[in-house]
Amino acid sequence: MTGFLVRRLLQAVAVIIGVIAFMFILIHLIPGGEARAVLGPRAQPLAIENFDKANGLNLPLWDQFIHYLWNLATFNLGRSYIFNQTVNSLIGTALPKTLVLVGISTVFAAVIAIPLGVYQVVRRNKPEDYIITGFTFVLYAMPAFLLGTLLILWFAIEIPIFPTEAPQSQSIWGILADPRALVLPVITLSAITIASFSRYMRSSMMETMTEDFIRTARAKGAAPRRVLYIHGLRNAIIPIITLLGLSVGTIVSGAVITESVFNYPGMGLLAVNSAFREDIPTLLGVTFVVTIATIIGNLLADILYAVVDPRIRYAKS
Amino acid sequence: MGLQGKFSFRPSERLSQDRPRRGGALRTLAVAGVTLTTMALTLVGSGASSAGASGIPTGGTKVSGGTVRWAEPPGTPPTYIFPFMSPQNSSVDNISQFQYLMYRPLYMFGFPSNNKTTLNPTLSLASAPEYSNGDTTATIALKSQYKWSNGEQVTANDVLFFLNMLHAEAPNSNWYDYVPGYIPDNVKSASASSPSSLTMTMTKAVDPTWFTYNQLSQVTPFPAAWDITANGGAPGSGGCSTGTYGAASTDAACTKVWTYLSGLASDPTSYASSPVWGVVDGPYTIAASKGGSFSTSGQVTMVPNSAYTGPQKATITLQQLPFTTDNAEFNSLVGGNLDIGYLPQQDVTQNTTNATSPGPNNPRLSNFYLTPWVLFGFNYAVLKYESTGNNGNAGAEYKQLYIRQAMQSVINQPEMISKFLKGYAVPTYGPVPVLPTNDLVDSYEQQNPYPYNTSHAKSLLTSHGWKNESGVDTCVNAGSGSSQCGAGIPKGAQLNFTMVYASGTQWQQQVMQVEQSAWNSIGIKTALQSQTFPTVLQGYAAPCQSGSPCTGEEGWWGGGWEYSPDYYPSGETLFYTNAGSNAGNYSNAKADSLIAATTNTSTNLDNYQNYIAQQIPVIWEPNADYLLTEVKSTLRGVAPQNPFANLFPEYWYYVKS
Repeated sequence: MTGFLVRRLLQAVAVIIGVIAFMFILIHLIPGGEARAVLGPRAQPLAIENFDKANGLNLPLWDQFIHYLWNLATFNLGRSYIFNQTVNSLIGTALPKTLVLVGISTVFAAVIAIPLGVYQVVRRNKPEDYIITGFTFVLYAMPAFLLGTLLILWFAIEIPIFPTEAPQSQSIWGILADPRALVLPVITLSAITIASFSRYMRSSMMETMTEDFIRTARAKGAAPRRVLYIHGLRNAIIPIITLLGLSVGTIVSGAVITESVFNYPGMGLLAVNSAFREDIPTLLGVTFVVTIATIIGNLLADILYAVVDPRIRYAKS
Repeated sequence: MGLQGKFSFRPSERLSQDRPRRGGALRTLAVAGVTLTTMALTLVGSGASSAGASGIPTGGTKVSGGTVRWAEPPGTPPTYIFPFMSPQNSSVDNISQFQYLMYRPLYMFGFPSNNKTTLNPTLSLASAPEYSNGDTTATIALKSQYKWSNGEQVTANDVLFFLNMLHAEAPNSNWYDYVPGYIPDNVKSASASSPSSLTMTMTKAVDPTWFTYNQLSQVTPFPAAWDITANGGAPGSGGCSTGTYGAASTDAACTKVWTYLSGLASDPTSYASSPVWGVVDGPYTIAASKGGSFSTSGQVTMVPNSAYTGPQKATITLQQLPFTTDNAEFNSLVGGNLDIGYLPQQDVTQNTTNATSPGPNNPRLSNFYLTPWVLFGFNYAVLKYESTGNNGNAGAEYKQLYIRQAMQSVINQPEMISKFLKGYAVPTYGPVPVLPTNDLVDSYEQQNPYPYNTSHAKSLLTSHGWKNESGVDTCVNAGSGSSQCGAGIPKGAQLNFTMVYASGTQWQQQVMQVEQSAWNSIGIKTALQSQTFPTVLQGYAAPCQSGSPCTGEEGWWGGGWEYSPDYYPSGETLFYTNAGSNAGNYSNAKADSLIAATTNTSTNLDNYQNYIAQQIPVIWEPNADYLLTEVKSTLRGVAPQNPFANLFPEYWYYVKS
C-alpha cells in the first residue's frame, strides 16, 4: 500500500503541473491580452502598458509560467485583477461555502440513494420499483435551475416556509446556524444526485445479486438479510465509491447553477465569473485547487476499494 | 469545472444489462404516469398572479429612520474604497454607489430629485468656479458649511491634496481617468490662497464649462488625516496636502502617501475598522464604530454620518446586498427581501412608450413601483478604419461616408427597442444622448439624421459604383470621383464584413441578427461572431497601434459610453485623432477642430455634435436603460434617478403604509 501511495503521489504532482501548464498556455493564447478586458474601454494605452508591467504580462510566456509555479510552491495564488483581494482570500471565502452546500448534498444524496437502490432491487419489477424509477427519471431529467426556481416559487414565495436565498453568512458556523436556508439548495442539488446514485446502485446491485458467490451464500443457508447486505451490498457499492471519489472534485468546484439560483457565491460562481471577466489569476487558482481535490478524491476512492474489496491488492499490482 | 452535480454523475446506459422481465407494459405505464403527474404538478404550481402598480406614488406620512435593503447589480459588489484609483478599480459600483456616499466630490453632478444632467450647486462642496485671465485661471471657493466627520473643515488644502496626488500619480496610470494632455498636465499651478479659496492656472485657455464638467469633476478633496505615510501618523505629516503643486519634492511626498493609502485600500477586510477610511465628509459611513460594515462578498451596511454638514442629513440605513444573477435578485424581490431592486429584462411583462417612464409593472411585484433608470450615455459599434480585413479593403470602405450612411440607414432603432427591449432603451443618433432630457442635445440629432430607409441606403451604394453580384455588393467603378467607390477601393472589392459582438445578452444578439439581415438586404454581406465581453473589449475597444496587425473589422461590446466623470459630452477622448478611447482610429481634421473648440473656447456643442452625428464615426446603436428599478411602495425620494448612476439615500424616507 505504501508503494502504491508513493507512486500515486508522484503521479499527482505530474498531473497538477500538467493541468496548470495546459490551462496557463490555453488562457494566454486568448488574443488581445487581458489588460483591456480588465481596465475597460476608457483605459489609455499608457495604462495598458503599466498594467502589463505591474502584472508581469510583458515577460515571455515561459518566464511568466516559471514565476507562477514558483509562487504556487509557496501557495501564493496571486492577486485577483477584479476583486481587490488575493486569490487565496477569494478561495478561502468561497471554498467553505461550497464545501458545506455540496458536501451536505452529496452525503444526503448517498444516504438516501444507496438504500433506495437496494430497496428497488428487493422490490424489483413491483409497483414500488416502477414508481421510484419514474420519480428518479423526472428528477434526473429536470435541470437544476428549473427545480431550484420551482422550489423557491412553491416553498419560499407561495408558501413562505423557507427563504429565497441560501445562507448569506461568510463563516461555516454562520451558514450552519441557518439550516432553514440550506433546505431548498440542498434538496435541489441532492435530488439530481439521488437520481443518478440510486440508478447506479440499483443496476450494480442487480448484477451482483446474480453472481455465483451470492448463490453459494444462499446455498450455505445464509439469511436473506445477510446475503443482501454483507455479500451483495459490499460488492455492489464499488461503483458508488468511484462516484463519491470523483465527486470530491465537484464538491470543491461547486455547483454553479444552484449557487446562482440561490444567491450563494461559492467556488462554481467564482470560477465562472473569473472566466467571463478574464480574471486570470483567480481562474488559475481555482483550477489548481480543483485539480488537487480531484486527485485526492480519486486516491481516496482507490484506498476505499482496497478496504471494501480484499481481492484488490495494490501492493503487488 | 463541475457545472452541476448531475453532469458529473450521469451514469452510462446500463439498463440493457438488466435481465428481461415480465410486466414491461405495466412498468412503462407506471413510469410514464409518475412522470406526467409530476410535470403537471410542476406546471400548475408555477402560476402566480396579482396586480402590480406602475405609477410613482407620492405623499404619505413620513417615518424617520429605517433600513433600505438595496440590491447591487449581479456580480458587481463594491471592492475599493480609496477615491483615487486606477482603471482596474473604477466602476459605478465603487465610485457612484459607494465612495461618493462617504467622500463627496468637489463638484456633484445631477440631482436627487430629478434627472437633470447639470452641475448640482447645492451638493457641491464649492461654489461654481470663477474663470478669469482669458479663461486661463480658475478660482474655487469652498463652502464654509462642509466639515469632515472628525470635526475639521473641508478646506482648499484638501483640494490641493488631491491635485498634488494627481500630479504625482496620474502619469503612473494610478488615476483611472487620466488622459495625457488633460488634467493634471494642463494645470500649470494650483495653490490655496486661504482655507476657503484655491486658484488654478491652466497651461492654455479652456472652455469654462468643459473644464468644470470634465476636469474639475474628477476632483475629490481628501482630509488632512489621510496625509500620512504610516499608521498613527500625525495629520498632514505626509506633506502632500501642503506641498507646492508640481514640485518634485511634493510629488515624492505624495507618492509615499499614495503608496500607504493604496496599501490600506488593498485590504478590504479592514475598511470598516480603519480609522483612515472612517474620516468622511459625505452623508454616510461604513465605520464599524458607528454601526457600519463591509464584507468582501459585497454585503455593505452604510449608516448615516451623524456629523454630516450638508443640506440633507441621512436617516435611512443603507444595506447593499450582493446577487449572483438577476434571477436570484428577482426571486429575492418577489420574496419581499428587498426594498429597492431591479426588474430583469426577461421579467418585463409589458412595453413602455418612453424609456424614462414606466409601463405597467410585473404583476408579481404589487408592493413595488417601477422606475426606469436612464444614464447619460450612448451606445455604438466600432468600425476599424485601419482594418486590413476583407482582403485589405475594410478600412478603406469604412472611410467612405456614404457606406457608413447606408449602414446606419437600415438600422431601425425604435423598432428594435420596442421589440427586443420592450421600450426600455434610448435610440442613439449622435454623441449627445437624446434622453434623459437635457439642454445640450441639438434638434438635428433629436430628429434622427438617418431615419430607416432601405431604398435610400441601396441607392447610396449603387450611385457610388457598387453592383450587387450574387448577394454581395461589388465595386464596379473604382476611383475617387463622386460616383465612384472611393479612394483605396479597387475594382472587384466587395462589401463583406464580420461583426464581432459580446455574447450572453439576448437583446444584443437580437439586435445584431436584425442588423445582419438589414445589411445583407442592401448587399453589405455581414457575418456575425459572438465572443465573450472581455474578448470583444480586447479586440475592439482599443485603437489599433501602428506597426501591429489590425485585422478586426466591426465590434460591439454592448456597453457603450457613460458620460461620467466627463459630464460634458465633448468627445475629446472618443473621436479626436489618436485619442486613447478612439477605438476605431477615426481621424477627421474638421472633427478635431470642432472638438478642440469645445474644450478650449466657449463654444457650445452644437457644431461638434451635429457634425459627428452626420459623419457617423461609429454605428449608433440602441442604449438600454441602466436598470429598471423597483422601489417599495412605502419608500419615497428614490425616483427620478440620477443620470450618472449616483445614489442619494439621504433623501430617501419611508411613509406609513
